[in-house]
Amino acid sequence: MLKIDNLHVRTGGAEILHGLTLAVNAGEVHAIMGPNGSGKSTLAQAIAGHEDYEVTDGSIEFLGEDIAELDPEERARAGLFLGFQYPVEIPGVNNAYLLKAALNARRKQAGEDEIDAYEFLKLAKEKMALLGMDPKFLNRGVNEGFSGGEKKRNEILQMAVLEPKLAILDETDSGLDIDALKAVAQGVNALRSPDRAIVLVTHYQRLLDYITPDFVHVLSGGRIIHSGDKSLATELEDRGYDWVVEAATA
Amino acid sequence: MNALDIDKLRAHVEGLPGGGLDAIRQQAVATLAETGLPSTRDESFKYTDLSEIGQLSRTWLEHPTRGQVSAETERRIADVTAIADVDWLVIANGDLKAALTRSLPGLSLERLSESPPPLPALQPLTALNAALLEDGLVIRVGAGQQRPLGLLVVDDASEAPGLSQLRIDIEVAAGQSLELVEYYLSTGDEAHYSNAVLHLELGQGSAARHLRLQDRSVRHSQTQRLDVTVGRDAAFTSASFDLGGRLTRNDLNIDLPRAGSRAEVAGLYLSGDGQHVDNHTLVDHRTGPTVSRQEYRGILFGRSRAVWNGKAMVHEGADGTDAEQANHNLLLSEHAEIDTKPELEIYAEDVRCAHGTTVGQLDERALFYLRSRGLDADEARRLLVHAFAVQVLAAAPVDALKPHLDALLDTKLATINDASLSI
Repeated sequence: MLKIDNLHVRTGGAEILHGLTLAVNAGEVHAIMGPNGSGKSTLAQAIAGHEDYEVTDGSIEFLGEDIAELDPEERARAGLFLGFQYPVEIPGVNNAYLLKAALNARRKQAGEDEIDAYEFLKLAKEKMALLGMDPKFLNRGVNEGFSGGEKKRNEILQMAVLEPKLAILDETDSGLDIDALKAVAQGVNALRSPDRAIVLVTHYQRLLDYITPDFVHVLSGGRIIHSGDKSLATELEDRGYDWVVEAATA
Repeated sequence: MNALDIDKLRAHVEGLPGGGLDAIRQQAVATLAETGLPSTRDESFKYTDLSEIGQLSRTWLEHPTRGQVSAETERRIADVTAIADVDWLVIANGDLKAALTRSLPGLSLERLSESPPPLPALQPLTALNAALLEDGLVIRVGAGQQRPLGLLVVDDASEAPGLSQLRIDIEVAAGQSLELVEYYLSTGDEAHYSNAVLHLELGQGSAARHLRLQDRSVRHSQTQRLDVTVGRDAAFTSASFDLGGRLTRNDLNIDLPRAGSRAEVAGLYLSGDGQHVDNHTLVDHRTGPTVSRQEYRGILFGRSRAVWNGKAMVHEGADGTDAEQANHNLLLSEHAEIDTKPELEIYAEDVRCAHGTTVGQLDERALFYLRSRGLDADEARRLLVHAFAVQVLAAAPVDALKPHLDALLDTKLATINDASLSI
């Protein structure tokens, strides 16, 4: 599904990722954890194709194709989804309009017809019910005046409607109360399937109480320095990151 | 001084039909002989050069002609008057005859020459208007007015360069309400200049909801001045859309002389290659409590320029004034220029005044967000430009015009070409 090899990424005049390697197969859920400033968001942005994040070496393969030179919209249409740490407010662009345009962009890529208005509304309302979202959010501006929790639910709503092959969720748990966290986790768990992969980028272990990862990686200093199963997350919560960092540099 | 040929002007004025407007015309010619047209040395015309208009006026005065209304013009008129639930008064090439034959519930229409206004203090452009005016329209709004009143002003410059003057005075009686649309169009490829002067007087407890739509051709320049006097507990709500034109200068002067009077003004201007749009507003808070709100938005692309000068004047004794001004601009080209200036002058106590202006490009974060959802870059840019504009549209009064305005705006935004957007 996703194969990252020796990835070097520069942004803001500095190299942040120094040779990161990671493989994610279909059906797997990976958690990438690490201290602040370790390069977690840089990794997420680089995979999604933000032009401020320059790949200077190495490769990112998605579904067997090197995507490092593709535009962000081409990656999205191929089935890649990034859940933003800070979803952007866009007053004047209707939430339902964006959702429908995004879905149709994917369907067009897949050679399918555009979804009709009735089917779309049915689908959107069904997914909103799953996430405990009021349907009135469909008619608001994109994230306009949404609370932190509402913004994150809206990200998960987009993911649920788009049904990506690979979802990367960047700090989706930050700033959420327990109800919102559960709703988000439910949305993610509903999407787990043998032909889909999910990468959770997170600072805390809290989200992993509700979404059980198959693999946990520690990102530090721009590289993955340690990998394990779900028990690693608990150990990190108990012992912090220092011991892994020290072991890796020793 | 921007010179007019004053002898030719005087000769032309002497040839106009006599009657009630003679005295004001004489006064206007005398004023113009002294002042000429505004030049860029005048503070309020610092960024707006009327010399092309002066040149056109001179040429026109040598051979004053008025072309016939073309089939194309008839078609444009038919398109607009087909908009349902609006009573349209059509003024083509300054001719008021068709408008004066209309009989509409709750409205009285008469010629300005039949009840000439007292001699006013004239500025150069209102003097030019008064001097060359053949006649104007006086509209009184009483009880029983049901549908929005539409003023469709069309100037046809398909045969010769032209000049037209428009003067309309509207009075809304106490306690009555008016929905008013001003719609300006032009046809033909010759140069044209129109100069409109309007007065709107709102009686105690009355309300006016006003929409101004300017979609002139790129060969057409227009100066327009609207003076509004808002009575006690009366409200003026307005949105203006400048979507076309070569050089456009709007002066909106709002007088709030009585307690409880309120003005809410919004505006959107688009300016592309070769265009120039200048909006000057002035709100006089003469007593309190009075409220004014101004929000103008501009989208500039290509080689173009826009000017916004919004002023709130809080006079001595206008305690309890609440005034806000905002001007936001989207610059989509490095060749576009905006001069924006909010002004506040305060001589009262206990006032709440705020102003803010912004000038910027499309939000890169929003652009990436939309692209990360699969929208291509051009589509994402168009969506963000539309989102910027649509916020003025959402607040626009006169619901009957909304679908038309929505479609027109879409068409105009689609002409902002990719080259402009990608800079």
